[in-house]
Amino acid sequence: MTQDRTRLLDPRFVSKLSRLDLKARLVVEGFLTGLHRSPYHGFSVEFAEHRQYMPGDPLRHLDWKVLAKSDRKYLKQYEEETNLRASLLVDTSASMGYGSAGITKLDYARQLAAALAYLMLTQNDAVGLFAFARSRGEHIPPRSTMGHLRPLLLLLEKLEPSGGTDFAASLHSLAERMTRRGLVVLFSDLLDEPDRIADAIHHFRHRKHEVLVFHILDPEELNFSFEREAVYVDSESGERVTTRPQELRGDYRARVGAWRDRLRQICIEKRADYVPLTTDQPYDRALLEYLSKRARLL
Amino acid sequence: MPVFSFLNPAFLWALPVASIPVIIHLLSRRRLPEISFPTTRFLKALEPNEVRRLRLRELLLLLLRTLALLFLVLAFARPSLTPRGAVTHAAAAVGILVDDSASMTALDEQARPRIKGALARATALADAARAGDELYLARSTRPDDPETGRARDHVRLARALERLEPAPVAARLPEAARALRLALGRSALRERELYWITDFQRSNVTPEARAELAEAVRAGIRVTLLPVAQGRMPNHGFEAVDPEIRPGPEGRGLEVRARLANHADSPSDRLAIRIRRGDALVGGGDATLRAGEAKWISMPLEWSAARDSGGAPVVAESDEDAYALDDRWFAVLGAPRRLRVLRIAETRAGTPPARYASLALDPAGNGGSSFSVETSAPDALLSLSRAKHDAVLLDDVASLSGAAEARLRAFLREGGGLVAALGPHTDAEYYTRRLFPGLIPLAVDRVERAPEGGAFELRARLPGHVALEGLSVGVNSPLTQARLTGLMAGRAAPGAEVVVQTTGGLPLLVTAPSVAVFLSSLADDWGDLPYSGAFVPLVRGMVAHAARVGTAAGTAPRAGERPAVPLAEAPSGALYVRGPGGYSSPAAVETQGALYRAIADAPAPVPGFYVFDSGGRPVATAALNTDPIESDLDAVSADSLRAEVSATVTGGGGEVSVLSSRGALESHLRDTRRGREIWMTFLVGAALFLLGELALGSARVIRP
Repeated sequence: MTQDRTRLLDPRFVSKLSRLDLKARLVVEGFLTGLHRSPYHGFSVEFAEHRQYMPGDPLRHLDWKVLAKSDRKYLKQYEEETNLRASLLVDTSASMGYGSAGITKLDYARQLAAALAYLMLTQNDAVGLFAFARSRGEHIPPRSTMGHLRPLLLLLEKLEPSGGTDFAASLHSLAERMTRRGLVVLFSDLLDEPDRIADAIHHFRHRKHEVLVFHILDPEELNFSFEREAVYVDSESGERVTTRPQELRGDYRARVGAWRDRLRQICIEKRADYVPLTTDQPYDRALLEYLSKRARLL
Repeated sequence: MPVFSFLNPAFLWALPVASIPVIIHLLSRRRLPEISFPTTRFLKALEPNEVRRLRLRELLLLLLRTLALLFLVLAFARPSLTPRGAVTHAAAAVGILVDDSASMTALDEQARPRIKGALARATALADAARAGDELYLARSTRPDDPETGRARDHVRLARALERLEPAPVAARLPEAARALRLALGRSALRERELYWITDFQRSNVTPEARAELAEAVRAGIRVTLLPVAQGRMPNHGFEAVDPEIRPGPEGRGLEVRARLANHADSPSDRLAIRIRRGDALVGGGDATLRAGEAKWISMPLEWSAARDSGGAPVVAESDEDAYALDDRWFAVLGAPRRLRVLRIAETRAGTPPARYASLALDPAGNGGSSFSVETSAPDALLSLSRAKHDAVLLDDVASLSGAAEARLRAFLREGGGLVAALGPHTDAEYYTRRLFPGLIPLAVDRVERAPEGGAFELRARLPGHVALEGLSVGVNSPLTQARLTGLMAGRAAPGAEVVVQTTGGLPLLVTAPSVAVFLSSLADDWGDLPYSGAFVPLVRGMVAHAARVGTAAGTAPRAGERPAVPLAEAPSGALYVRGPGGYSSPAAVETQGALYRAIADAPAPVPGFYVFDSGGRPVATAALNTDPIESDLDAVSADSLRAEVSATVTGGGGEVSVLSSRGALESHLRDTRRGREIWMTFLVGAALFLLGELALGSARVIRP
C-alpha cells in the first residue's frame, strides 16, 4: 500500500497517466491515505455523519452524547463550509516547457495544480485557475462545486509553454483582476528579476491575498550536471552560451543557490510561503505545504 | 640577419595540415549541440570571468595544436638558416692557403702534428665543394708553384691534399696569399672565398702578410682564418752552431759553441746538448735558458779524429720537444784554429801604442787563447792577405793611405773582417768620407766629451748580438761599471746596427756585416774601460763578429734552398751533390773574389748534409738546417688579426671570420653551403607545443 501511495505521488509515474482528472484524484487519494495520522484532515464545521472511532482518532471530535447513550464511540464528521478562495496561477512561459527527467516543469505544475484543485474542491474550497504567459492568459474564476473541476482540468490540459513571460507584469495584472481576497497559489520557475517578483508578490499581499509560491525547477537547472560541451540557449531570451558544464558547474550552482535564497528571502519579507520544488520531487510535499497554509488561514 | 630557407621545400605543400585543428575547431563549434536551457542567464552572468577564461584556454589549445602541426610540417621541410651574404646554391671560387712550413710539424694541443689538423680542415673544404666550384690550393712554402693558380675540382684537390706534406722551410705567407688572391681575381665566378689554414706564427704573420689579408678583404673576398693551434707552445731549439772550433779555456782542449733559444714564457728545463759525429759522441754540455732567452753555449769537444779537407760534419742534438725539427742542427766544423788578427796601431812621438786591445785578445802573447794578434804599423796593410789574417783591428789609426785602404777593401771582399776602434787621433772626416762608405753606413764628425763631472755609461742595445756574446746583459742594461769621458759622435744609417750606446743614446758600437766600429778608444785615453771586466769579452766579441761573418750561419743556405759551399780552389771536374733521401743534383761553380763557391742546381728538400763530389771524390760538405724563424711557435691571435683587418678595411669589401676548430669549420661550411639546418629545433618545438597542449587540455581551470 505504501509503495502504491508513493507511486501515486511520484510525478514521473503520474505523468504517464493519460487523464488529468485521474491523475488529480490518484494524487490526492494517495496523499490523503498517507495523512491518516496527520493533523490535516478534512473536517468542516457542519455535521455530516458519524464514523466509528478508531484508535488514534482525536477525542475532540468524539460524540460524547452517543457514547453516553450507547457506550459506543463515534466520531462526528463535519462538512466544512469554507470561505477560502484559492486561485491557482500557472506560469506557461516557454521556460516552463523544460524538462530533463521525463517531465516538464509545466507538466509538474499542471499535475500539482490539478491535484490541488481536486483537493480543494473536495474540501469545498473555491478554486480558480489563471494561466499566464506573454498575454494576460486564460482564466477560470474560482468556484467550489465539484462540477467546476472539469473545466479546470480541461484548461490545465490545454496549457502549452510558449514565449517569454513578462512575469511581474502578468502578476500585477492578475493582482488587479483578483478583487476578492483569497489564497493565491503560484506555480512558476520565477525566472525574472527578483525585485520585480518581490513587487508582484507585494501587490498580492497589498490586496490582502495569502500567497503560496511553488517555485518549480528542473533538477538540471539546479545541478547543471550536463557533461558535453554545448551551446546553451535561453528558451525565452534566446541568449546563447557555449561552454563546458564541468568548468562552470560550481559557480553556476552557487549562483542558482543564491538566487533561490534571494527568492526565499523575498517571500519571507512579503510574508508569502515559498516552497522550492523540483520536478523529481513527490507531490506530497507541495500538498502538505498547502494544507499547512490552509490550516493557518482557517 | 641570416636568411631562412628550406632544403626540402616539397614538404611545404603539407602546410595546410596545420589548419586541421582550426577546421576541426570550427566544425566542432558548428556541430555543438544546442540545448535549450532556461537558466542560461546564470551561465551568461559567469561569462565575463569563467567563460572568457575558458574561451582563452580553448584558443590557446587551438594555437598550440596548430603550431605543433605547423612545426612538424616545417621540420620535415628541413628549415635552414644561412648567414647573410652566403651563397648556398651558386658556385664560388674558393682559395685554400695551407701552411705547410716547418712549424706545422710541431705538435698541437692534442699532441698531433699541426699539419694533420690543417689537412683535415682543407679536406673538409674540399668535401664541402659544390658542383661548379673552382678550388685553388696554395702552399705557404711554395707560393710560386704554378699549380697555385690552377682551378681544381674537389676530387683533384683531395688528391693534392693527400700528397701534401710539410716542408722543413719557412712559410712565405704574403706571397702565397697574394698568389691566391690573384687567382681568385681571375675567376669568372662572382662569389669568392679565401681560407687561411695556418698556425699563425707571429714570425710569419708579417706586416706584408697583414697587408695582403686586408687587400683580399678589400677585393670583396670573404676571408676565413682557420688557426690550427692556439697560444704559444713552449719550444727550444738550435739557432746556430759555430763552425769554428776554438781552443778551450786557458788554451786547454777544444770547444764548440751552439746557439740555443728558449721560445717559451717560462724558463726551460735543464737542456742536454750532444754533439755527434756519425755515431760517435764527440762533445756536449747542458744549459738552462730564461724565458725568451737565446744564447751561445760553449761545450768541450773531443777532436781526435783526422781532419777532413771538406770539414767535419757533426749533428748537435738537444732534448726533443713539441717541435722536433730545431732540436737537431747539422754543422760542418772547420779545423780548430785561432782567429788571426792584424792590429794596426801608430807610434806617436816615440811612444808605442797602448797594448790593451792586444792583451785582451791574446793575454799571454803565445796564441794560447782563441786569438793570435800581430801588431803592425799601417803600412803592413799593403801586404794584407786573407791567408794570413782573419780580421784587421784599426786601433785609433788616424787614416790610411789609398793603397792600404784598397788592400783592406779587397781583404774584406775575400771574407776578412774589420774592427775600427776610434780614438783621440782619429780623422773623423777620413773615416766618414773615405773608409766607411761601402763598408758601413756610419758617419762620425767630432769628439763628444762628457759634461764636467759626468761620464758616459755603456748600455747594451742588442743583447743577443755576437759582439756581446761574452757578456750577460739585457736590453739597455749597463755593460760595466766603467765610464767613458769622451767618444766620437756618430750617426748610424739603416743597414748599420747600434749594438751598444751611451746613456745619452750616442752610438758606441756599430756593426755591419764583417765590420765593427767602436766609437771610443780601446786605450785609457777616454775613461777606464780597459780596466773593466767587460773589456776583454767586448773586444773579443767585436773581432769575432767581424771575422766570423763570412762563415757564420747567417749566410748558410737553409733547407729548401740550393746547397752551396765555399771552395778554396776550383774543382778539377764536374760537381755533383748527394744528399739525404736520395737527393742528387749537379752543381755549378761561381767565383767569389779569390775564392770559389759551389752551388747545387736543385733545392735541398730536407735538412742534412749535402756532399759535393768532384770526380767521385768529396770536396766539400754543406750542412743545411731549417730556418730558425719557424722555431718560435708564438701565434698571433686570429681574432685580433681579424679585428685589425676589419678596422683597416673601411667601406665595402668582404668579411673576415675566424673559425677556431674543425667542428666550427664544418658547421660553418654546412651553414654557408646548405644553411644551418634547424629541423631539430622545429621538431622539439612541435613536441613542446604538443606537451603544452596535453598539459593545458588536462588541467582544470585554476580558480582564484
